[in-house]
Parts: sequence; C-alpha cells; structure tokens
Amino acid sequence: MALSTQSTTGHGQAAAPRRTDRGVIGAAAIVVFGTAGYFVFPDNLALLTHIISTMLLVLAIDLVTGYCGVATLGHAALFGAGAYGAGIAAAHFGITEPLTMTLVGVICGSIAGLISGIVVLRAHGLAQLVLSIAVIHLFQEAANKASAWTGGSDGLSGIMPDAVFGRFEFDLFGQTAYVYGVALLLVTFVLLRILVRSPFGMLARGVKEDPVRLAAMGASVQSVMIRMYIISGAVAGLGGALSAISTQVVGLDSLSFTLSAETLVMLVLGGTGSLYGAMVGTVVFMFFEDTVSAANPFHWLTIVGALLIAVVLFAPKGLYGTAAAFFERRSRAGKGRDGA
Amino acid sequence: MKRFVLAVAVAALAAGVAHADTIKVGVVGPFSGPFALQGKNFKAGIDAFFALNGKKVGDHDIEVVYRDVPTANPAQSKSLAQELIVREKVQYLAGFYFTPDAMAATPLLQQGNVPMVVMNAATSAIVTSSPYVVRTSFTTWQTASPIAKVAKDAGVAKAITLVSDYGPGVDAETAFKTAFEKEGGSVVESIRMPLSTNDFAPMMQRVKDSGAQALFVFLPSGPPTLAFVKAYNENGLKAAGIKFLATGDLTQESDLPALGEAGLGLTTTFHYAVSHDSPENKAFVAAAEKAIGNPAELSFPAVGAFDGMYVISKMIEATNGKQDAKNAVEAVKGLSWTSPRGPVSIDPDSRHITQNIYLREVAKDAGGKYYNKEIQTFEKQGDPGLAALKK
Amino acid sequence: MQTVLSIAVDALAYGMVLFIISIGLSVTMGLMRVINLAHGAFAMIGGYFASYAARDLGLGYGVGVLAAIVGTVIIAIPVERFLYRRIYGQPELTQVLMTIGITFCVIGIANFAFGPTLKTIPLPQMLQGSVDLGFRTIATHRLFSIVCGLVVAGALWFLIERTAFGTRLRATVDNAAMAASLGVRTQVVYAVSFAVAIGLAALGGVLGAELLPVEPYYALRYMVTFLVVVSVGGAGSIPGALIACLLLGAIDTTGRYFAPEYGEFFFYLAVIVIVTLFPRGLAGRFR
Repeated sequence: MALSTQSTTGHGQAAAPRRTDRGVIGAAAIVVFGTAGYFVFPDNLALLTHIISTMLLVLAIDLVTGYCGVATLGHAALFGAGAYGAGIAAAHFGITEPLTMTLVGVICGSIAGLISGIVVLRAHGLAQLVLSIAVIHLFQEAANKASAWTGGSDGLSGIMPDAVFGRFEFDLFGQTAYVYGVALLLVTFVLLRILVRSPFGMLARGVKEDPVRLAAMGASVQSVMIRMYIISGAVAGLGGALSAISTQVVGLDSLSFTLSAETLVMLVLGGTGSLYGAMVGTVVFMFFEDTVSAANPFHWLTIVGALLIAVVLFAPKGLYGTAAAFFERRSRAGKGRDGA
Repeated sequence: MKRFVLAVAVAALAAGVAHADTIKVGVVGPFSGPFALQGKNFKAGIDAFFALNGKKVGDHDIEVVYRDVPTANPAQSKSLAQELIVREKVQYLAGFYFTPDAMAATPLLQQGNVPMVVMNAATSAIVTSSPYVVRTSFTTWQTASPIAKVAKDAGVAKAITLVSDYGPGVDAETAFKTAFEKEGGSVVESIRMPLSTNDFAPMMQRVKDSGAQALFVFLPSGPPTLAFVKAYNENGLKAAGIKFLATGDLTQESDLPALGEAGLGLTTTFHYAVSHDSPENKAFVAAAEKAIGNPAELSFPAVGAFDGMYVISKMIEATNGKQDAKNAVEAVKGLSWTSPRGPVSIDPDSRHITQNIYLREVAKDAGGKYYNKEIQTFEKQGDPGLAALKK
Repeated sequence: MQTVLSIAVDALAYGMVLFIISIGLSVTMGLMRVINLAHGAFAMIGGYFASYAARDLGLGYGVGVLAAIVGTVIIAIPVERFLYRRIYGQPELTQVLMTIGITFCVIGIANFAFGPTLKTIPLPQMLQGSVDLGFRTIATHRLFSIVCGLVVAGALWFLIERTAFGTRLRATVDNAAMAASLGVRTQVVYAVSFAVAIGLAALGGVLGAELLPVEPYYALRYMVTFLVVVSVGGAGSIPGALIACLLLGAIDTTGRYFAPEYGEFFFYLAVIVIVTLFPRGLAGRFR
C-alpha cells in the first residue's frame, strides 16, 4: 500500500523526516482501525467507544509518566474531573451541545491537572506515588460528599447530549458516539505528536533524563512539569467528557484508585514514553479483559495477572516498546549488511 | 451515510420481529471481583428457577446471557447493556446489583423496547427512571423502616444511627430516622462512616458517649461487617445493653459462619432468610444450593433473581415471545404469587415488589450452624422510600 | 479526659496493628528497594494458612501462626527465585507491573481454592473477651497485638543494627557491588531478607485478621494503606514505621471519633502534609 512505500522511501534518510512518516502512519492507522472497527464490530461500538475514552486517559498518563518520569497512581482524578465537568454542565446547567460539553470537560480536566500537579510534583519515587494516591482519594471523597451535584454513589444521570452539528443523534447503536470518539482521538493524536516533538516536548524528556542538568541550563523543571500536567489534564478531561457524552452517565468509579491503577497497568503493558505504546496497551488490555471476562468471568483475574507477569519477563519494554526495538535491531542489522 | 441509516433500519427491524423459539435474557451483575459472591447468587437463583420450572415457556426457550460488571461502574454497565440489546438481541435485561449500574441502563429501555427486571439494586428511585423497570428485590427504605417499630416496641426512646457514607447508607439513615420519629422516638446522633473504615472502635466510643439505648447500623455486606460486630462486642456495648438494630445486609447468610458466636442474638429486618419455613422455600433452597455448589454461599440476591425469572417468564407468556416491552410490563402489574420468601405482588403503580418484611435474630441450630431465625412478620410492606421521594 | 484517654488507647491499638501488617513491606521497599504491591497478597496467604490450620484442622492458634509463617515463606521462595530476582534494580513501573500481576494471580487462585467468603482464625480462649482498663474495656487480642508489635519492632531493630547479618544486609543495600567484592554473598542476603519480610507479612496477616478479615480481595483492598504507612514512615526504617503507624493511627482514630464523615479527608490531607514536608518519610534513610 501507499503507506509502506512511504516508510521505505524514508529509509536511510535523516531521522527527522522518517519520524514524520511514522506520525502520518500513526494517524492513518487510527483512521484505518477506526473505520475497520466500525464495519467489523458494528454491534460492539459502545465497547469500542469505551476503549477510546480510556485510551485518552492512558495517553494522558503517558505524557507525565512516559515523557516526564512522574510515577502516578491517581491520574483518574483528571479523567473524572472531565467526566463530571461535562456531565454536570449537561445535567445541571443545560449545556447539552456535545462540542461545548467536550470543551467544558477539557477545561475541568486541565484545572484538575493543575491541582494534582501542584501536589504530586512535590516529591519523587515512592512518596510521589503516595501523594498521587492521596489526591485521587480526596477527589473521590469530595465527589461523594457533593452528591447534590454529582449524584454521589448513585451516579450522575440525566445527561442528554444534543445531536452533533444538530444532525447525528447519540442513539442506542452508538455510531455517533463512536465516530465522534475516533475524530477526537485522531485530533488528539496529531496534536500530541506535534507536542512531544516540539522543543517543549524535548525539554520534558530532558527533565526525565536529568533534571539537575536541565535546571543548570536555566530551564525551570517545575514549570515544565506543571505545564505538562495541565496538558495531560486536558487530554484526560477529553476522555472523561467523551465517556460522559457517550454513556450519558458518570459514576464515582471514574475518580477511583482502581481506574488509575488499571490505566497505569495498560500504559506499562503497551510501553511508556511512546504514544503508540499507550494506544496498543489500552486496546490489548481492554480487549483481553472483555473476551476473557465474557468467556469466564470467574477466572479472568488470574489470567490477566499471568499476562502481566509474562510481559515483565519477556517484553520488559512493554508490547510496543519491545516490538519496536526488535524491528529497529532488524533494520539496523539489514543496513549493516547493505553497507558491507 | 446511507450505510449508517441502513444499519439502523436493519437492526431496528431485527429487534422488532418476534423470535419464535429462543428468547434471550441479558443478566448484568458482578461475576468477578470483590462482589463475585453476589453475582454467583444471581446465577444460582436463575439456575434454581430453571431446575424447578424448566427452561421453556410455552414453545419458547429461554437463554440467559451473562455480562460482568465487577464493581459499581455505570459507564461499563451501560455499554454492556447496549451490547446485549444491539448485538445479542436480548428481549429482557435483568440482574443489576448496584444502583448506578441499573440507573445507567434505564435510558436504553424505551428505545430498545426492552423491559428491565432489577434483581437487587435497592435505591427507591430506580423504578421512577423508566416505566419499563420492574423490581423483585427490595429497597433499603423497605427493609430499614420496620425495625424502627421493633425498637420502639422494645422500649427504646433514644437511638443513634451509624451508616456507611454512600447512597444506600444515607437512604437507610433517613428511612430509619423517619420511621423512628414517626413512632415517637428520637435519633440523638447520625454518624456517617467512610466506606473504607476498618476500625470501628472510635465510633463505638461515640455511641457510648451519646447515651443512646440502641444503635441502628447499615454497612454494605462484606469484610467491614465482621469488624463492626466484633467492635460492638469487644468495646462493651453489648454488655452495656445497647440494642443492635440493622437491616439484613449485615447478617447475610454467607457472612454468618465468619461472624460466629459474635453474631448470636443480632436482630435485623429483611425480606428473606434462607431458613424461611415454607414448602416453596425448601424447594428453592434445595435447587439453589445445588446450583451454587457450596450451600454456605447462598444468600439473598438468589431469591431476587429467582423471582425475577418468574416475572420474566410471566412476561414471555403474556407477550407470547414477541418483543413488546410495554405489554410485557403491563402484564405483570399487580401480579401476585408465592415466592420462597412468602406472599409477594408487584405494585401496579410503582412496579416494585410488595412483600413481607421479617424481624430475625441470629441463632444456632442443632447442628451448630448459624441462621437467621424469623421471629416477627410485617405483612405486605410497600416501599416507603417512593412516598418520601414524591414529597 | 476519659474520652481523650479512650481515644489514645484506640489509636495505640490501631496503630500497632497497622505496624505489624506493614513492617514487612517496609523491609522489602527500604532494604531491597522493591515496590512490592504483592505484600498484601502474602499477608493474605498467611491468613489462609492460619485459618486452615486453626479452624479447619483444629490445631489451635499457635500452630496456625507458625503454619502461616512457614507455609507462606515456602510459597515465597520459588516466587522470589523466579520472579522477584528479575525485577531487583529495575524501574519502579516494571516492579509495579510485576507485583500487581502476582497480586492478581494470588487473588484469582485464592478465590478458586477457598471461595469468596470471609475466613476467620479462631482465637484461643485467653485472647478472647475484653480486659478492663479501669476507665474502659479493650479487646484482649488488641493488647496482644500491641505486645507483638513491640516485640517485632525490637527484634527487627536488633537483627538489623546489632547482628553480623544486619551488617551484611546494610552493606548490601548501600552498595551491592562493593559488598560482594568484600565477600558478602549478596544473593543469599537478599533471599534471607525477602524470607524475613514475607514471614512478617504472614504474621501481620494473621494478627491483623480480627480487624482486616481474610478474603480474596484482601490483597488489593488494603494495598494503599500499607503503601501510605511505609512512605510516611520512610521505607526501611523500623523506628520510622513505628512512629508513622502511631501517628496515622492517632489521626485516623481521632478523625473518626470527632468527624467520621470527614475521616477520609483528614487522613489523606495529613498524608499529603507529612509526605510533602518529609519526602523521604519521617525517618527515611534511603533515597
């Protein structure tokens, strides 16, 4: 196909244009898989939309964990803030236009990102992990307390989004929600792709590699990280808003430690520090969870556990990271032969 | 876009056609995770129904499709319910252990032309969220109100409430308070405890300091129950004669062996005890115990599921296998039958089950097995929570 | 005054139970530098062993405790050999992934083997009932936990600070390569400390079972609590863990007495404040 010729023409050139090609491939892959999903699983669109909203959260975690080296078990706070933001806007303020709801979710997610960033970035390692856990518990407890606004543990219902552009209704079959989700994912991917390769993205990577040196070079480590947290919040909030719009309900689980931990596992499974890793990890984990738990709900936890152990033992860089490294080695070996 | 419209039309057509032979029922419940035991009870109740009544209604076979939502997760519940309706083409949705999971799926019912039979979720408001919801379990209001009368009859004038700080807990608190004040008693303090609480000693101190003669408690069934009952005994509240009042969630049969001696004498009100003495219940328990494998695991969600299947079978009978949610629900309004728990009926206005609520005391039988011994019956209790909702 | 005393007693009792359950994790995290999220899983395995020995076989509490420690360590040996050795010195996230995987497996297996119901460990006659302290009563087993906690703290401190093995352990932790070149068999040191940590986890699982009952999700349910205790105390520090437990016990207990509906807020706000002020924990010696 056209895609493969593009990647081969890039072969052997300088690194930068090759990477651009990979970005194009990524965007194309989203379109291809998105379209394929629509036609191959036409009855499963609700699940696929659920996967996309989770994927956005995993991408958000990747921004701070993979690119900045922050260890967090509380990132669902950002996702939940977006979901509740969009949900409350619709249920209490009558803002039912989907694009506006999405925007509200993004803003709420960024604010939550700012708040949790301020707290979480005060420590490193284990202490940071514990701070993030404290943050997610505080968020969840606050939502539980504010039950007049959030519906508490009964969940926030009564979210009735309008049709997109006044034409496409969110209906039982979930086509609109799915297409909307794929579009959001595509836009996010392109923007994030630009972001991580921008000078700012490089700075963030530098922060991860050697914060002391960066500080010595005059960059403000703290400000880079906080800005990344806000961006991450926007992405997670987008995922939350998509979840609120597509399922028309928001529950306390969207602000839970469990969701935070599960999504972190998805990221590590796919491979940190790469947008593809985040997406691959989410799809594999959720697809696995769905099939195994439908086949045998009583034992799926054991099987998922075994999968995680196997990944650490045999694919330590995550599924995508290991595969990428494998092909890198192959192509380098091939190049070596060409030169000889 | 043409394909889009076409797909919708085809799917809608498929949904509308009457299936002659196999009728699918989608059951959503916690089949893995910390609440797997309750999901197992759903399954045991459904299997018991099939064992006693067969899998056929008229010429229609019933097929049950299970979907797993391990913990309260409305978004997941909704997408699974959607999948059940669209892909599996189920004609009935059932199950639902947690309120938010049920609430999430109710907006689908009208469009999907599917009735929902709630087999557990106990918040009053669920039945009001869609006219296609029927409930065969109980509400927290329904089970918590009668115990206020028990307290009053036992001469308690001042009581204290302790509940877990989440929806059902707050429901229980309000229900008990409303009923107890109506009886002329007063609730001196209402304490809400975080769900994650595992050490209850400080609360027990608070109960002692409050001067209440009885404590009313609501906790979700599970590990905290054990710690709470132990704290009640060990901190001298039992010795001080402070009465222990709760809904039956706290003394569900599967937790009794773990409670052991500490549980003896606890009084609770609930809609079902596995020990209920009736031929219907004996037959049900025998079948359900066989279905669940370990008899010690049988608990109240099983009876909700059993009666839920009964209601669904009546719906199938009434519509002769056609997918017709409106008439199916219409057909069971006012339906009354003898359930394993005693005489029950579906209230035509609320579509919630009217049933006897029993006062029980944890006792030990001759074989050393702990059970809930029914000692008083409150007949034909409706759901006071709905009345409170309307105010 | 009576109320204050009473809360203090409750806080002490709760804090010591926390200490017994969490100290094993402090050893793995601080001395072996593994983020061991499977700590609760090992504590739970201990609980199951004790429950099986004491309740189903009727062998008594003492045998139950022994069976728990020995049995759990035996199970842990191959786990350490084949799984943990692969993650020593690996990035935190890898350790998180591996130990969560182990936890999931243990939960699934426990659920399959023992069923989802709560398992109890019957207490011996002498630990049942309550003791009158004059101003209030307290459960005897709580007093027992306090005593056990102090004994464990003392013994561990002695082992690490005063014995030859402790010296080797500290040397290995500070600089494994250097210790190895000086003739310390670091592999053995790691294996032994891991066994000690697992033994402590099992002991904690049994002694804490009155408060945290044994059931398959034990392993996940209390994971956060253990992590918080260890990081507040400072991983690897026995006195730090002790202080952290007493402090957190006091905050939690007081919060629950005065404003139970905001208990979570107090607890986690306190955690944020402490961790922000002492990023290495109250007495952290590493990192």
